[in-house]
Amino acid sequence: MSSKKITLKSSDGETLEVEVAIAVQSQTIKHMIEDDCADGGIPLPNVTSKILAKVIEYCKKHVENSKKEDSIEEEDELKEWECNFLQVDQQILCDLIHAANYLNIKSLLDLTCRRVADMIKGKTPEEIRRTFNIKNDFTPEEEEEVRRENKWALE
Amino acid sequence: MAISFPEEVLEHVFSFIQCDKDRNAMSLVCKSWYDVERWSRRRIFVGNCYAVSPRIMIRRFPEVRSVTMKGKPHFADFNLVPEGWGGYVYPWIFAMAGAYPWLEELRLKRMVVTDEALELIGKSFKNFKVLVLSFCEGFSTDGLASIAANCRKLKELELRECEVEDLSGHWLSNFAESCTSLVSLNISCLGSEVSYSALERLVGRCPNLRSLQLNRAVPLDRLPNLLRRAPQLVELGTGSYSAEGRPDLFLDLAGAFKRCKQLKSLSGFWDVVPSYLLALYPSCSGITSLNLVCATMQSPDLANLVKHCPNLRRLWVLDHIEDSGLAVLASFCKDLEELRVLPSEPYVVEPNVALTEQGLVSVSVGCPKLQSVLYFCRQMTNAALVAIARSCPNMTRFRLCIIDPLTPDYLTMQSLDTGFGAIVEHCKQLQRLSLSGLLTDRVFEYIGTHAKKLEMLSLAFAGDTDLGLHHILSGCEKLRKLEIRDCPFGGKALLANAAKLETMRSLWMSTCPVSFGACKLLGQKMPRLNVEVIDERGLPDSVPEDCLVEKLYIYRSVAGPRFDSPNFVRAMNENSSLTFS
Repeated sequence: MSSKKITLKSSDGETLEVEVAIAVQSQTIKHMIEDDCADGGIPLPNVTSKILAKVIEYCKKHVENSKKEDSIEEEDELKEWECNFLQVDQQILCDLIHAANYLNIKSLLDLTCRRVADMIKGKTPEEIRRTFNIKNDFTPEEEEEVRRENKWALE
Repeated sequence: MAISFPEEVLEHVFSFIQCDKDRNAMSLVCKSWYDVERWSRRRIFVGNCYAVSPRIMIRRFPEVRSVTMKGKPHFADFNLVPEGWGGYVYPWIFAMAGAYPWLEELRLKRMVVTDEALELIGKSFKNFKVLVLSFCEGFSTDGLASIAANCRKLKELELRECEVEDLSGHWLSNFAESCTSLVSLNISCLGSEVSYSALERLVGRCPNLRSLQLNRAVPLDRLPNLLRRAPQLVELGTGSYSAEGRPDLFLDLAGAFKRCKQLKSLSGFWDVVPSYLLALYPSCSGITSLNLVCATMQSPDLANLVKHCPNLRRLWVLDHIEDSGLAVLASFCKDLEELRVLPSEPYVVEPNVALTEQGLVSVSVGCPKLQSVLYFCRQMTNAALVAIARSCPNMTRFRLCIIDPLTPDYLTMQSLDTGFGAIVEHCKQLQRLSLSGLLTDRVFEYIGTHAKKLEMLSLAFAGDTDLGLHHILSGCEKLRKLEIRDCPFGGKALLANAAKLETMRSLWMSTCPVSFGACKLLGQKMPRLNVEVIDERGLPDSVPEDCLVEKLYIYRSVAGPRFDSPNFVRAMNENSSLTFS
């Protein structure tokens, strides 16, 4: 039996043919198919081809994994695979989060968000700002007031 | 290139971070993070209920599910904080009833909890799951009845060392038959008898019950039935553990214990008859925590029990264990991390048991993982303290209570400065320290120099001059809580280190020569500190500057002065309208 395929179109104009079973890991795509909007391919204006390829790689692994027996070895193997999968630079991680959010792939969103959470834990505010290149828009007085309330009331 | 996330994604990231310190750091990153953080914070820890107000907490955090809060200072445990001082939880419950209808957890320590507060909890929070009250007072079993009746999803009800007005044991029968969610039940501090059949039915219908701590009124012959209904128990506090000439009960008990294969922690054992302890020997290899402070047993029986628990990590015991029992502990329990030895006769000057500094030395030398010590004894030497310090460089909590104040090293008749100096020098991770014995300003010099991670320090009858206090305040960088009684420290060191007090949670001083004038000055100099002068004799409207204060409690607060002070507490704040002569 040949598996049904669907065409996905990335923001930079590339097309990718993907098995439906893999594509519907994305709730967004699943709804589009169910609503019959998928003829002629699904445009994904928010996802570049590079990121789309990574997302599909993730979904493919999860579909494969769901067919296997549950076991400690399988769990460990998946964890290791996911760890390698996330060996990417911060921009790509960020793009993956946006893609997982837009495409509504809960497990990928959880995985990537947990990774970002791990990058926050144990850091000072300045270290967090540097990690994510965030500008401090508190005035010194505002910052001092929050700092005081945190230390005096909440520690 | 800036990384930005839509708010719902940021919220999702934040949902994986619960730790207070991380949350506090996140709130300072930038304004949008502050906002997302405060809307998504679910757990709050308030170390001093007067350091913040319900209004401030609710305004900043609108969606809280779990609150942990502490009220009275630690010295309240020694009856040094007068009745009626404060620490009332009702205003907090009242405010949260409106703001947090989905509140699930309340953990309170040293607070005054009333029946009205407990009723309000039962009525206001439909999803309420956890109530842990430690060292609390002010409520009766009627309040407990309303919790049992109204909190249908209750998972944890723990009363730890609370003073409860015990009207009857009937309250327990108020748990609905449909309540099957209990994970933890601790009624050990209650006096009255609960209905045994209600208790058995409750225990039997809660498959997730992990921790059950009974009160003394539950007799030993009821224990096997309870254990059979909860073989999954991890923590057990027995009731009265006494019986006479009951081989049938012994067998029943042994059989029931055998089926509890997950037991890790034991406590209770009131009125213990040691021969019945043999019933639990088969469970002992898994035991990691033993609390025997209610068990009056002689050293050989204690030693026998301890011998059967090779995986013991925590032992709380009375000084009946004596040096000989502690030597056995040191030989058999190599994983021991925490030891508490409490006095059986704290008000008797002459030793009633053969417990000396030697016991603690053997445990320190024999148990390499020892980190936390609370030890009451009647004699000590510098040599012993040095040996302890050298053997336990990873010590984090060291509280030594030599019962008679000002007791010197009994071999050399010197002060114990050198011994405690060795403790702070070798134990670089020390977070908590209680001193006792004869001590001069010198020990404080050592502490100020070496105890760089020290967070809490307790002193009594120690030191010579203000210099002692100055060493602590200027040297201990991480100090958060300082409690002092009967030490010759005046206001000089306080005023010289006033700014330091804003970096600490609180300072308690009682029966120290601090003058009213010094307190007034401190209050004026540091308007963001609440400087409370406490005097049960009552304070006249005008107090002479050089009059010494009975008790002084200083703490930083973002909520300003209290509104609920009794008449024997006077706040030394800048805007005080009272006149002083």
